[in-house]
Amino acid sequence: MVRTWLAIATAEFQVLTSSMRRNRKLYAGILYAIALVWAVVLTPMIYNAVLGAIFPMHVLRPMLLVIFPGLMRTVGLFLWLILLLFPLSMALQEIKIGQWEIFLSNNVRTRDIMTGTFLGKMGLYSLIIIALAPLLISPFMLAFEVSIVGQLLVYGVVTLLAMGTIWLSNFVTALVQARLGESSRGNDLAKAVAMVVAIVVIIPMYGLMFFLPTLSEMMGMNAFLILPSTWFSDLISWIAITFNGIGLTGSQIMGFSTVLQLDILVTSVLVIGFVLGTVGLALGAADRVFTIEAGVRTEVVTTVGRENVILRGIRKISTGPFGSLMVTNTKDFVRKAQNLSKIGYGVILAIIMPIVMMAMDIEYLQFSEMFMMLIVMMSLIGAMPFAGTGFLESKDQLWIIQSAPSGASRFVKSRIASQAMISIALALIPSVILYFMMNLTIFEFATLLGLGYVAVVGGMLTATGVTARNPNYEDTKSPAHQANVMTSVMIAEFSIMGVMFADIFLTIGTGIDFFGMIADFFGPGNMMVGISVMGLVVQWIIAGVLVWSGIRYLSRPDP
Amino acid sequence: MTNNGIVIRTSGLNKRFDTVHAVRDLDLEVRSGSRFGFLGPNGAGKTTTVRILSGLMKQTSGDATVCGYDVSTQRDSIKAVTGLLPESPGLYSKLSAVEFLEFIGALNGRNGDALNRRIDIMLDMLGLEGRQDDLLESYSSGMKQKVLVASTLLSEPKLVFLDEPTSRLDPAASALVKDIILVLAQETETSFFICSHQTSFVEDVCDVVGILNDGALVTLGSPQEIIENTGTKDLEAAYLKIVGGHVDRETLLAWR
Repeated sequence: MVRTWLAIATAEFQVLTSSMRRNRKLYAGILYAIALVWAVVLTPMIYNAVLGAIFPMHVLRPMLLVIFPGLMRTVGLFLWLILLLFPLSMALQEIKIGQWEIFLSNNVRTRDIMTGTFLGKMGLYSLIIIALAPLLISPFMLAFEVSIVGQLLVYGVVTLLAMGTIWLSNFVTALVQARLGESSRGNDLAKAVAMVVAIVVIIPMYGLMFFLPTLSEMMGMNAFLILPSTWFSDLISWIAITFNGIGLTGSQIMGFSTVLQLDILVTSVLVIGFVLGTVGLALGAADRVFTIEAGVRTEVVTTVGRENVILRGIRKISTGPFGSLMVTNTKDFVRKAQNLSKIGYGVILAIIMPIVMMAMDIEYLQFSEMFMMLIVMMSLIGAMPFAGTGFLESKDQLWIIQSAPSGASRFVKSRIASQAMISIALALIPSVILYFMMNLTIFEFATLLGLGYVAVVGGMLTATGVTARNPNYEDTKSPAHQANVMTSVMIAEFSIMGVMFADIFLTIGTGIDFFGMIADFFGPGNMMVGISVMGLVVQWIIAGVLVWSGIRYLSRPDP
Repeated sequence: MTNNGIVIRTSGLNKRFDTVHAVRDLDLEVRSGSRFGFLGPNGAGKTTTVRILSGLMKQTSGDATVCGYDVSTQRDSIKAVTGLLPESPGLYSKLSAVEFLEFIGALNGRNGDALNRRIDIMLDMLGLEGRQDDLLESYSSGMKQKVLVASTLLSEPKLVFLDEPTSRLDPAASALVKDIILVLAQETETSFFICSHQTSFVEDVCDVVGILNDGALVTLGSPQEIIENTGTKDLEAAYLKIVGGHVDRETLLAWR
């Protein structure tokens, strides 16, 4: 009897490890060996050394004991969201309904598809778990001096959490993919959903970064109880407490039970129930999940209507072919759900940061101090939506553009013009929100909007130049896409921040007070505005060079 | 812009990709107003040749002129007088057919009412009326191919490169494309350079055929000459005799 789930899992594993296909088993073995050494030897050693140097354990332990249950729930939620949403986000980058057709036409049982795809993914995600879990859990294991048996049980629960959650994620992914179908529209929507999913992960990450100790209080310990991640976290807490080596007394353990609310037995039942429930649900619904539907290509046919006032305005201002190119480029960009979700992602990032900083009640943080950070965030908003995707859909499209005389140059220039127009909204939305949130004066608002727009366009130019030099088309899973996004964001941000660092080094190195000179030129209290202006000049020079070389690269014939 | 009635002239044209020799010492002349069919198996070098001739790819060695312009130094001039239908459709999924054709027109420096009229007529002719304002993401592959055919002819090129023009089309649409090629060649002196696997299409449409095998041009002549020289009944049989690829019954069942 051929085990079809094994064949599917093997194929998934082969796809996952295709970059090391020459010696797959050896490299995979080395990776797992490194991960295990990291988890079992290095992490405890590093924590012991670092914590010993900063806070001796006898000082740290009482604090860790107090915050342990709440913090474990936060850590559990973080892990759970990553495990649930990261695979979903990754899978949605590439709809693979075509493979289902092959499976189903070969009479493979739907349960085997579910099991095979799940096991195929486990290789990668178990590596992530082995790398992450000790980082999050080791301090508590050290604080409670948990016995070896206890530690094994804790890692057992973590494994259960990982497998149960990835199984659920696998099921949800299949559901979403079946609904969207394999088409350009389906892929676009899937990528948009993936971006929304990323936002959902980002928010708790910010929470972890900025309000780690108070996040539990904010959400309320009771509210946590409905989340499956809480059951796993509480079970870990109970195991750590039960197998502690620091001699917790009965009353101290009782103290934990008032915080955790559910006892170890109920928590265990909930954990096992969750895992069995998701496995049962997925297997039971497998037949309905792996149904190839018509998909959104045939279900939804979008017919374009009359052009809106903005597009008509462009045609009136620029009456020649350049105006027509701007109009079609704008239509192409704003009709893609993934571009809109990327814009939303960037705007949310820009707004979250000041919210978090203000929520921290840092009194000395005034608008003038935060200005440079806001400008840096605005350049991020400009770079994000235009980096990697939303530029060229395929190499064939590039052939078509190149087959017109100076086609690539005309295309990039008109693309930049239409993106500069879209950038107005990108600068306006966060500026208006920050105006109300931070009670800015009209002058401060105008400065933020004006320089913010320059920063957004600078980021957009950087991203366009970088992407033109290395087009990754719509392949958001490719290394080229990751490189484009990272390079664009880094250049856009660090070209501005670099000016400040350069000022610091020059002031130290030459003894000349560059900060004083900037303050003299821009006026007292406007030093950050001054540094931002200088940073933007540097950013635009770099972006200009990138765009110029990008146009040259796209225009040249294939070597 | 032809050179003594010659639209394409290549001399010792070569293209290498690392260890693969895609085009070998190609010497070719295509006369103005002719319909040149380029046949060959998968990977023979047909698309590579088209990309070099249309100014999209550099040759490794050798010379070529297209409409009198040098492919090494006058690529923009070549692009201004040629049209290219690529092998795979590289359309914008979020534009309608009309918007996409407007985009192509603008890339070639055209816009306005004259362009819009031309777009409407072409879409009507290709049977896309009624769907012209739907986004291309909802088009079938054959419909996308029709839009690409329209985009290739939009700016009235003197020479048209067609790479597998009918591979995704139904018989009626294929016949339409065939007729368009014949009419344009006869009435407007437009030259066509057609890469195809479909020997019957090439036999019907082309007046000169070149067969490329393993990067080298192995046969050149009219379809009738090639059929007679090989002693076969049609171009498909002639092609199989020249290139190989006929598999006997025993081999066909050997895998069982």
